[in-house]
Amino acid sequence: MSEKVGVYICHCGTNIAGVVDVEAVAKWAGKELENVVISRDYKFMCSSLGQEMIEGDITKEGLTRVVVAACSPHLHEKTFRRACANAGLNPYLCQMASIREQVSWVVEDKEAATEKAKAMIAAAVNRVQLHEELEPTVVPVNPNTIVVGAGIAGIQASLELADAGHVVYLVEREPSIGGHMAQFDKTFPTLDCAACILTPKMSDVGAHPNINLLSYSEVEEISGYVGNFTARIKKKTRYVNEEACTGCGICIEKCPKRVLDDVFEAGLGMRKAIYRPFPQAVPNIPVIDRENCIYYKTGKCKACQLFCPTEAIAFEQEDTYIDINVGNVILATGFDLFDCKTIPQYGYGRLANVFTSLEFERMCNATGPTEGKIVLRDGVTEPKSVVIVHCVGSRDQRFNPYCSSICCMAALKFGHLVMERTDAEVYSCYIDMRTPSKGYEEFYNRLLEEGMHFIRGKVAEVTDAPRFPGEESKLIVQVEDTLIGKQRRIPVDMVVLMAALQPRYDARDVGLKFGISCSMEGWFTERHPKLDPVATMTEGIFIAGVAQGPKDIPAAVGQGAAAAARVQGMITAGEVLIEPIVATIHEEKCSGCRICNTLCPFNAIEFLEDKEVSYINAALCKGCGTCVAACPAQAITGAHYSNEQIFAEIEGILFDVTSGGDLKALRAEQERVPA
Amino acid sequence: MAKPSFSDEIANLLYAAHGNPIKTCIQCGTCSGTCPVADYMDHTPRRIIGMIMANYKDEVLASNTFWYCASCYHCTVRCPAQIDIAELMYALKRYSIWKHVYPEELIGPVFSETFVKTIVRSGRSYEPILAPAYMFSFGVREFLQEAITATGLMLKGRVPILPPRIKRLENFKRMISKVIPVGEAS
Amino acid sequence: MKEYAYFPGCSLEKIALSYHLSTIETSKKVGVELKELEDWNCCGATAYFHVDELLAYTLCARNLAMAEQENLDLVAPCSACYKNSYFTNLHLKEDPDLADHINFALAEDNLHFSGNIAVKHLIEVFAQDVGPEEISTKVSKPLDGLKVAPYYGCQILRPRKDNEEVEQAEFFEDLLSAIGAEPVPYALKLCCCGGSLILTSRRAALSMVRNLLQNAMDSGAALIATACPLCQVNLECYQSQVNQEFGTQFSMPVMYFTQLLGLAFGIPAKRLGIGKELVSATPLSSYIK
Repeated sequence: MSEKVGVYICHCGTNIAGVVDVEAVAKWAGKELENVVISRDYKFMCSSLGQEMIEGDITKEGLTRVVVAACSPHLHEKTFRRACANAGLNPYLCQMASIREQVSWVVEDKEAATEKAKAMIAAAVNRVQLHEELEPTVVPVNPNTIVVGAGIAGIQASLELADAGHVVYLVEREPSIGGHMAQFDKTFPTLDCAACILTPKMSDVGAHPNINLLSYSEVEEISGYVGNFTARIKKKTRYVNEEACTGCGICIEKCPKRVLDDVFEAGLGMRKAIYRPFPQAVPNIPVIDRENCIYYKTGKCKACQLFCPTEAIAFEQEDTYIDINVGNVILATGFDLFDCKTIPQYGYGRLANVFTSLEFERMCNATGPTEGKIVLRDGVTEPKSVVIVHCVGSRDQRFNPYCSSICCMAALKFGHLVMERTDAEVYSCYIDMRTPSKGYEEFYNRLLEEGMHFIRGKVAEVTDAPRFPGEESKLIVQVEDTLIGKQRRIPVDMVVLMAALQPRYDARDVGLKFGISCSMEGWFTERHPKLDPVATMTEGIFIAGVAQGPKDIPAAVGQGAAAAARVQGMITAGEVLIEPIVATIHEEKCSGCRICNTLCPFNAIEFLEDKEVSYINAALCKGCGTCVAACPAQAITGAHYSNEQIFAEIEGILFDVTSGGDLKALRAEQERVPA
Repeated sequence: MAKPSFSDEIANLLYAAHGNPIKTCIQCGTCSGTCPVADYMDHTPRRIIGMIMANYKDEVLASNTFWYCASCYHCTVRCPAQIDIAELMYALKRYSIWKHVYPEELIGPVFSETFVKTIVRSGRSYEPILAPAYMFSFGVREFLQEAITATGLMLKGRVPILPPRIKRLENFKRMISKVIPVGEAS
Repeated sequence: MKEYAYFPGCSLEKIALSYHLSTIETSKKVGVELKELEDWNCCGATAYFHVDELLAYTLCARNLAMAEQENLDLVAPCSACYKNSYFTNLHLKEDPDLADHINFALAEDNLHFSGNIAVKHLIEVFAQDVGPEEISTKVSKPLDGLKVAPYYGCQILRPRKDNEEVEQAEFFEDLLSAIGAEPVPYALKLCCCGGSLILTSRRAALSMVRNLLQNAMDSGAALIATACPLCQVNLECYQSQVNQEFGTQFSMPVMYFTQLLGLAFGIPAKRLGIGKELVSATPLSSYIK
């Protein structure tokens, strides 16, 4: 019995109809394509009216297959499958032809676009007739969640979930939670103190009965699928017994070894070999830095152990591993700062009084190395003039093409702090002043009123070579003041470089580990840039904070909360449907060669010793097809991607639409010619 | 076909430059902050790019900016949009020489043309023959200073007496005539 | 023995003769054979590119094609010759249409460009192909205690974008250290000397020369070392004009790096062209015997 195929061509407003002659295509499909019983075009097929039209045709006309030629299946495949299901047709008997992304948006010539649309519809019609009815698998969702990264985004996500009554494993690489925000002094535009708003949240995390805080830990491995992940967490040894330690800090006080702290203090301050990054650290337990500890170098010292009142120091302690089961994952792994030495002409590392923005944050911080005093590298001299350089490593094709989005506001904040705490003149050298959020432009106006100097121009270089009187023993900032069209040399005491935000150095590896993709630059890619900003293309893996792209604290907090809401939705639903598009092994054809076992990127294939054949775990299989292509015995079939279906699709797309010839004639001819 | 805009003409002239097109300029001023000659130019290089984009053809051609470019390429390696700005300056020089539009007081255009003629004649450059291209435009003081420098060089045996020439000069001239019309080159 | 096709360029015939002489002497010492291109022509300098781009490429391509016939990499001691030859080579390799066009003209001199050689600056041959280690083994009279400002100028490094050292090169310093001299750090080592502006926009160029001399002097250098004839002429021969124009008192010798190498190798000063300076090389007197 032949199938009854319905073809539906969407105008997508003018998106498709502006280039493709949709009416002609609809007429052509109805006339020329085999087994097509209905062919219609409509303004917006995804609208409820469009869907109702399809549903009606299925019930009234008894359609057995549906082809929708519209946008990419990424956007609306679910919509049209649901419409089919509503009318009682198995949703996998519907096929989409992407005539927007692959035709009207990329082909300029109208005639060519129309022909291409026809070819793609012919392919879909050919293919859909070979589709089989498939049923998704229902699996339960584990209500526990892993949050990776305990900066402000990860903290927010964890608290939202924990407060809603769900168990959270919060994994943080550093000894303390808090992330970059813990390093800041003030936050723009309201100038409230970062610690004042962050530390209460940090202690909430530390004390929350639903949060298992795994600090100084990393996710080593993760396997499984949405609703049912298993993660192996490596707890790096602190050389301090966490149960015994009371966090009194005597060990830190007694440790004789001082080390430059280039993580939390950004190289501006010192710490001990046994340390916690900052006094309000959560947890409050110190860590021994083995590289610098005298005991590990010489076998002597043990001052910390000697003085510890609870005998918590454990020099022999080793890394431990714990396995946890969760249903969902939130990645909030944050950012790294651009290395300012990459731009040698700005003098960082060579000219003492050139600072990075993070160094300056630490300097402004009341608990930082200078106790909040703004001074030159000598530690005592107050600067009389400061230039703040915007876009260091941002908006530059040679480094990072994107805008780091927070630097303009942070520069204004710095300007305010300098003028509040010193008598210095402050200059901002910017390309474009970007202050787009609530209260931000007002903050810019405030700084204009406060007398900060603004020079529109990207700094060309910072030099210590004087040319004119007044430049001796100064840093000279050379820049074009583009608003007056003159090159200026500004002699100052201090230069602050607003370094770009960059993806974590290992973001791509992390992405690979969790099965999500990164943008060209290395930011985690969201499922949809506007409408699905915290989900990823991998079900059950969500992203939040700067790991997804540069953003400020309010936006990072917003995303943390949003990701938590998405996870709560999954938990409340309690179960998820697993796509039935998976591969299966025909046992009678399998030779047991095991080639597929190692190739599977999702570890979904195991070898059954008793039967001596391989077996695919349908819940783990993502239907990628690697094993199907690799199997030397052709013993594996990919559901929804069988050889017959793919060949039918190819045959359809190669159908010569220009000749006006029909597919039936073509087929007949092919059958006559022996292969 | 519509007459190409000035910015199109300049874009075409930049055909061999392998940087990004000037329309990607974000007017950040890195080039002009870097330029060691910016103080002597009537418009900074950034502004020249803006003027080209706005089709201010007469004003661009009347400016001395590109004749002051020393081809140090510092702007080119620093440009965040990766525009080959020094190459743009070359393109503007070529354009103004072709159209014979440049401010009269400039030495650069005459010097360049004299230089090219020398090479077309002999295959190598010869400093003394180039001198008139710029010496006569000097004031008395500069002229004397230049003469003293030249004499010093002469005494140290650093100035050639006879113009050098290559051996296969006839082939060389024919080669050149294949690239540009002979009338313009000699 | 490594062999190169040597393209001295117009300046080295007379105004920078001492660069030529010292290049020949020192290269022999380090096992580099420079085979002068027979019948080379002018690279077009900067002026040629002002007038006609294709013609300028043709000029450079002729030299490249002759080096290709010898199957040798082309070496230029002049930064402008180097830059023009390097980029002609690059652009012609990347753009077959352009190469076809140029080859059409080259046929008149029975030549053909195929793009199978590399172009190097003379200082790259010494600093990279030979290397400071090898050079230090040839030193018999180290220039101990001589403070030298290494001047890179522009076109050795720029506009090559593949070069990571473009804003912080160190190879010139390494070369000077290898012969016992003390390279001094100074901010303007990569800044422009004014180039041909010295003739066409005199005042601008003189002020650039002044800035450079001032910066080198402030850094405590006894002399400046260069690797380009035009830089040498601007910094040295125009020093008296700078002094008159700005009321300064500079007396800063400007030597070719090959001359310093030669002295350290024990080659007699005269054979290195020392003595042709307009600013006499007094700081070197104790090293010349």
